[in-house]
Amino acid sequence: MNSSDWEERVALHAGGDLPPAEAAEVERHLRECAACQVFASGLKQSLALLKEAHHEPLAPAHFSAVRARVVAELEQERRRGALWARRLAWSFGLAAAVAALLVMLALRPGRTPERRAPVVAANHPPVVVARVSAAPPPARHRVAWRVARPIVPDTPAPEPLIVKLQTDDPNVVIYWIADRKRGE
Amino acid sequence: MKALALLATVGPMDGSVEAAEAGDLTAFDRLMRQYERLVLVTALRLLGDLEDAQDASQEVFLRLYRNLNKVETSGNLSAWLYRVTVNVCHDARRKRRVSALVEDAAELPALTADPQRTAIATERRRALEMSLRMLSEKERAVLVLRDLEGLSTEEVARALGTTEATVRSQLSKARVKVRDFLERYFRRRT
Repeated sequence: MNSSDWEERVALHAGGDLPPAEAAEVERHLRECAACQVFASGLKQSLALLKEAHHEPLAPAHFSAVRARVVAELEQERRRGALWARRLAWSFGLAAAVAALLVMLALRPGRTPERRAPVVAANHPPVVVARVSAAPPPARHRVAWRVARPIVPDTPAPEPLIVKLQTDDPNVVIYWIADRKRGE
Repeated sequence: MKALALLATVGPMDGSVEAAEAGDLTAFDRLMRQYERLVLVTALRLLGDLEDAQDASQEVFLRLYRNLNKVETSGNLSAWLYRVTVNVCHDARRKRRVSALVEDAAELPALTADPQRTAIATERRRALEMSLRMLSEKERAVLVLRDLEGLSTEEVARALGTTEATVRSQLSKARVKVRDFLERYFRRRT
């Protein structure tokens, strides 16, 4: 075993980190080796000095400062948490109010379009009979309509035919303009 | 030393963990008082700077508060705190500024009024901090936990996430380095 190996084992022995058999071997070596005795003595002294310095008490203010900082941080976290909870509650409340308002607007009476008879806006009556389908349209803006063939009096002036069609949707009005041949 | 190690291995017995977990900050304050020495002094030895050690301790206790449910079930609070303290200090060392070591020892006010004893204590602290600074990060952690905090080799290995054989190897190197440094340090002073 070289000196480096002994150094390592003596260092472990100085702190009581060797199993009994190895410790006994190191102690035997120390009895015979003066250099290792000095080395072991230096190790023990240095460890004792470190422990002594380590266990000197710190001023209580250093500990209380840490505690105060931790508690302050936790309280701040709590306040932040409470603030977020309040904001969340407000957001949910606001969303519920908006939803309720939208539902009310959608269901309010008068919103449902009245079914009206078609209006013919020809410049000379009576030109058009238009019918809006009795059944409701399959989709909101789809119009199901049918225009009866216009009965046109025998007039000499072939003026264009304008048909105004009112659909189920009050916002949608269709104008149908058609040229007429003489005699139509 | 033995008493300190024993103190470190027993858990909080007054129900502070449960109360703190339920949100009782006073109970958590009690818990911190029980373990503040363990955390702050270990951090101080690992970092060598009081302000950094206080920052690290704050982080350790905040992590403790956020993990109280896990800690409670794991059962060994001191082992958990040592492990987290080492990790937090490791992170802090990577981030922190380069600070002057020699002034650090003087920062700590001595508790004794006797000027001669104060001077000796300051000298010892300076020697301790400088010798720890001579070590690699792993050697320092091993020496602090085993020789200064009095944990067993097995506990040190667990706290550092390594094997007992590695701990022993690093420990012997650290002790030899410290001895060599202190011999030179005091020879130069006398």
